[in-house]
Amino acid sequence: MISGTASVDELAAGAPEIAAFGTESVRLGGVTGLSLVAELRRPAREAVLPPGLHPIVPPAMSLQAWDVTESPWGAFSAAFVRVVCRSGARARTFCVGAAASTASAVQGLQTQFGFPARHADVSLRRHYDEVGLRVSAESDIGGGGSDGRGKGHDGGGGRGNGVMLSVSALDPDPLSVGDLQHVGSMNLAHTPLGLRLVQVETHHEPSRVERLAARIEAFDAAAWGQPLLDPYWVVSCSVSLEDVEIPAIRFVCDPALPAAEGTERVQ
Amino acid sequence: MKFGIFYELSVPRPFSRANEWLTYHNALEQCRVADELGFDHVWAVEHHFLEEYSHCPAPEVFLTAVAAQTQRIRVGHGAVVCVPEMNNPIRVAERAAALDIISNGRLELGTARSSTWTELGGFCADPDDTKKTWDEFCRVIPQMWTRDDFGWQGARFEMPARNVIPKPFQEPHPPMWVTVTTPGTELDAAERGLGCLGVSAAPFAEQERRTKEYCRRVANCDPVGSFVNDQVHTLNFLYCHEDYRQAAALGLPMVGAFSMSNAHLYFTREAYPTRAYQTLGNAGAALRSRGTPNGSAPR
Repeated sequence: MISGTASVDELAAGAPEIAAFGTESVRLGGVTGLSLVAELRRPAREAVLPPGLHPIVPPAMSLQAWDVTESPWGAFSAAFVRVVCRSGARARTFCVGAAASTASAVQGLQTQFGFPARHADVSLRRHYDEVGLRVSAESDIGGGGSDGRGKGHDGGGGRGNGVMLSVSALDPDPLSVGDLQHVGSMNLAHTPLGLRLVQVETHHEPSRVERLAARIEAFDAAAWGQPLLDPYWVVSCSVSLEDVEIPAIRFVCDPALPAAEGTERVQ
Repeated sequence: MKFGIFYELSVPRPFSRANEWLTYHNALEQCRVADELGFDHVWAVEHHFLEEYSHCPAPEVFLTAVAAQTQRIRVGHGAVVCVPEMNNPIRVAERAAALDIISNGRLELGTARSSTWTELGGFCADPDDTKKTWDEFCRVIPQMWTRDDFGWQGARFEMPARNVIPKPFQEPHPPMWVTVTTPGTELDAAERGLGCLGVSAAPFAEQERRTKEYCRRVANCDPVGSFVNDQVHTLNFLYCHEDYRQAAALGLPMVGAFSMSNAHLYFTREAYPTRAYQTLGNAGAALRSRGTPNGSAPR
């Protein structure tokens, strides 16, 4: 069994703070969600995870994006870059970077659930036969619109023009709503219990799910906080119309210990 | 009731060529002992790229060595992956027949379709199609074994008429099985008259449920082969020692480590949304029901 080898101290430097664990769930209504899985090259396998988590073979990245109509934080869009892993025997992802389109969403994601969120332009647009996701560190929108359409392939990996991520997906193929599996996120955060991996499990109520053929047109790994990430092989992409509930945090884990030894109940 | 042994050929880290050699040759020695002790069968899996969990991508080679080194134990090819990117059905029929000859008619042929993205993705196989290709493989292989002039124009496999040789030593052909991990596959097995090769470390109640449903339905099956194989295989862990405490001290960590390595596989459903794969796998569920919030192995 292999475990992560990333320095907990180095990871802690960029971790958000949860001053107090909340007791209420957050409900996101009218969500358009995009999920994309891509294989990573081998150097990223152990090096991006803390010792308390275990990589899978082959290493993979799970990208998630939401365009939210209703929430306690108002309407917003967000994107999450996560590395697929295991915590104990459980399927999980380790969130290495997140971006949200409004200040209130950034604050909510950081302080309530420990997502390492930053402010960015996040645009997720769904058309009849195409879905476009674009995340920009600064407002580079203009000319081609904000949905990724009309943009050429970013041969420079996104660097230099503020583009953190650009995905284009085509030809939606309907699936049953139960065919899409969501995996919870482990977010490293400073908590009242100390530095912990916060276990965030979202509950999804999809009304429509489609699978598409996707291409990552640009990905700036450094902008997401982990230069080793190199999503070179897209496995799958799906889009769903759904409501999402983020329950209050129940468990946290010591990032330096296996789940069997380091898991604590919050409430 | 028959008893056998079942090999994934797990290799612990750190990997070395010496460790892989030792794993194979230890297993061969165990098979010779099992043959002498009267065990009925030895199964070996086909898995690809599953580091630690299974270093057994060519079970037909391993089982040929077993056949050559034993006298009576049956050799279970469990199971050949019926996905064209991994195996051509003609080659499956040819290799299986040759192994049946080498073993003097001791072959059992299992069929499967692979459950991990690690394997399917590695061969660029389409997860949507694996159930369909498995179904077609199951129907053509026994005909290749029994007909002198066989041709096929199916949905995913076709060939002009040829005589696929050699023919297996057993008449009319070796028993066929299908591995059952996904709930519902026991019904596929029953409908086709295939043996129910349960390889999940599922709870006893679940195994009993599947077995009852299989037995109920296999009685009215339309067999894909020349006869019905209505045997049921189930798998459980067993570690024997004269002292109970010593057995628990040695055996339980092994079970825990193997189950944890199973939970760490990258199952297709997690990577690729499709109606063709409905579960995460097998041992994970059993572990989760007894483990911590993160499903760590029971101590």
